[in-house]
Amino acid sequence: MTFHDLVTNSTGNLRRMKLRSILTITGVVIAIATFVAMLSFGAGMQENISAEFEKFGLLNTLQVYPPRAEDNTDSAGTRVLLDQQTIRTFAAIPGVRLVYPFDDFNVTVRAGDSTVSTRAQSLPVAAVQTPLYSKILAGTVFTADTSDEIVISDDLLESIGVTDPDSVLGECLIVSVKVTCLDSGIVNAVRELPKRLRDRLSGVWRDSLSYPKFWADVGRAEGGAALSRFIDGYLNHRELVSDTLRVGGVLEGRRHGRSKIEPVVLPAGTAARFRSSGFSDDPTDIMAAIANGTLFTAAGGDGGKEYPQVTVDLDPNVTYEPIRDSIRALGFRTFSYADEFKEMRRFFFFFKLGLSAVGLIALITASLGIVNTMVMSIIERTREIGVLKSLGADDRDIRLLFLAESGMIGSIGAVFGIAVGWLITRVAYLVAYMILQQKDLPPMPFDPFSLPWWLILTAFAFGLVVSLLAGLYPAARASRVDPVEALRSN
Amino acid sequence: MSDWILQTTALCRHYRRGPQTVRAVDGIDLGIGRGESLALVGASGSGKSTLLNLLGGLDTPTSGTIVFEGTNLSALNRRELAGYRARRVGMVFQSFNLISHHSALRNVEMALLFNDTPRRERRARAIDILERLGLADRMDHRPGDLSGGEQQRVAIARALVKHPDILFADEPTGNLDQDNAVQIGGILSTLNAEGVTIILATHDMTLAGRVARRIVRLDYGRLAGNSAHGIEDGDTR
Repeated sequence: MTFHDLVTNSTGNLRRMKLRSILTITGVVIAIATFVAMLSFGAGMQENISAEFEKFGLLNTLQVYPPRAEDNTDSAGTRVLLDQQTIRTFAAIPGVRLVYPFDDFNVTVRAGDSTVSTRAQSLPVAAVQTPLYSKILAGTVFTADTSDEIVISDDLLESIGVTDPDSVLGECLIVSVKVTCLDSGIVNAVRELPKRLRDRLSGVWRDSLSYPKFWADVGRAEGGAALSRFIDGYLNHRELVSDTLRVGGVLEGRRHGRSKIEPVVLPAGTAARFRSSGFSDDPTDIMAAIANGTLFTAAGGDGGKEYPQVTVDLDPNVTYEPIRDSIRALGFRTFSYADEFKEMRRFFFFFKLGLSAVGLIALITASLGIVNTMVMSIIERTREIGVLKSLGADDRDIRLLFLAESGMIGSIGAVFGIAVGWLITRVAYLVAYMILQQKDLPPMPFDPFSLPWWLILTAFAFGLVVSLLAGLYPAARASRVDPVEALRSN
Repeated sequence: MSDWILQTTALCRHYRRGPQTVRAVDGIDLGIGRGESLALVGASGSGKSTLLNLLGGLDTPTSGTIVFEGTNLSALNRRELAGYRARRVGMVFQSFNLISHHSALRNVEMALLFNDTPRRERRARAIDILERLGLADRMDHRPGDLSGGEQQRVAIARALVKHPDILFADEPTGNLDQDNAVQIGGILSTLNAEGVTIILATHDMTLAGRVARRIVRLDYGRLAGNSAHGIEDGDTR
């Protein structure tokens, strides 16, 4: 007896008992449809989130943070800094493609009549070309570190009241940064010096001028006053450095999370121009420079600057764990989306397991219907079983014939169940879409349902296997039928 | 006679019915020659059908042996016994036992389903045998659409399509009118003349006389005598 014989025979028998077969198959269809719709939701959610992770290259990036203040000393007792020197150290680790800091500062942006105070970040060209910055709404990202083109985010567009990202492409923005610089300090220190000296000398007894102690006192007093004015000028009399820059592209902003995109993204070289004469007005920069003793040497460069966060872009062909561990060994804290992704996959595994349990319960219920149908079929076909045995069918042949029938019920039910399940997800999506529209809510950013091949195959396999299991008892019972008794039965 | 195709020794088939033991077949020694036609006759309950079922491999004896071409059927397992039924014997029943939802052709083809006959050959052989039995225009009919005689001819076709060594017929004309009974008797005689060994269970002595060259009488499961050409009464071997 060939597979073809089994299929022909079982389809023939199912066709003969139309109503009963349809009802039994409907039970399987409902169960498989539930299974598919449930798992389709789980799979869709996981797929979309995974796609986002992969699209932005998040699985290939590590975010590095300085150690917590209380832990911030290495074995030699020196502070561990997340600075340019460290960035170079990270870049030398095998498997690391790119390392760049999260370097942000306050800016004022004037676009036409609007002036907005916001945040900007500087990025090297290599960084802005990574998938992390690939969600471009209009235009392109800059291609040179000293380019006059900048990228802005949709958050800035919202602030300046623009809705169409394309409309700002090529527009010029005046970007201003307040900086403290040595010039402000020196100018402030020397500004009042002649008048103060004149005032001091005008009322002095002339003979005193010949006393060295007098000059020493004057020098001490004026020196102290000049230093005080220098510090005051350095810290408080900041210069406003402005530049006219053209909008090259518009990105979808991310104001929160581990991979922020500020409203204004400047090429690293262009950002450095703003600070060529000093620090930004970020007090933490100044405090860090004072603490590191680089208040003067760091001005105009990043030499002594500490960063709150550094992004490490990894070669996708290497495993991230050793690199993460190397960085941790240097005393830094790390965050890896790949770690998060692992946790997420674990969550989705249990989530889908829970969903499939519901489908399985329905399938087990349907399998009882199969058992009932098959047992009824045996009772009705006892004589036929006897005839088949008289023709030479052995127990195995009879078992196979009945298993093929239950398998056929499962297969047909699974095929239709998959189709119905998918239809249910489409209807659910449509209903959700209409409700969101009715309530004036933004549409879903993605289709939360998915029907991957593994789900189709799993659903089919479940339908088939559960049906076969359901057919085991009836098939065994059929195979045990005594042919002599069966031939005598009516 | 030593060329037995089938030989039984002290064959018994007892079964319990409530507190009683029914001795359906009780110590039968019988030899059947190749190409022979044998009729088992006797009253209802004499054990004809039980003996036929034992010889046909549908039932297993309580004791004794059945030897088919040197193979003891009693020693075969269920699968081997099914193989014997699938390849070596054909059976015809009083109530035809055709599968009602299959066509005549499909019913005949079914007999080749369990003996590894290739699918294409099954169809050709089934058509051929049905044509030989005058059912060429009835092949696509279901049993319900055929007359009793036609149904029995389909049943004979089903038994013959696998070219069996022995054809067992259990009351083949029991459900047929006189004309059809004569026709079926004629077919069985012709088959025997062509070399098919036929073992017939019937209480129709006319049919037995027409088809069989040897008649064995059973009474309460025991041999009560025979009338065979060339074999003395009481010496069934």
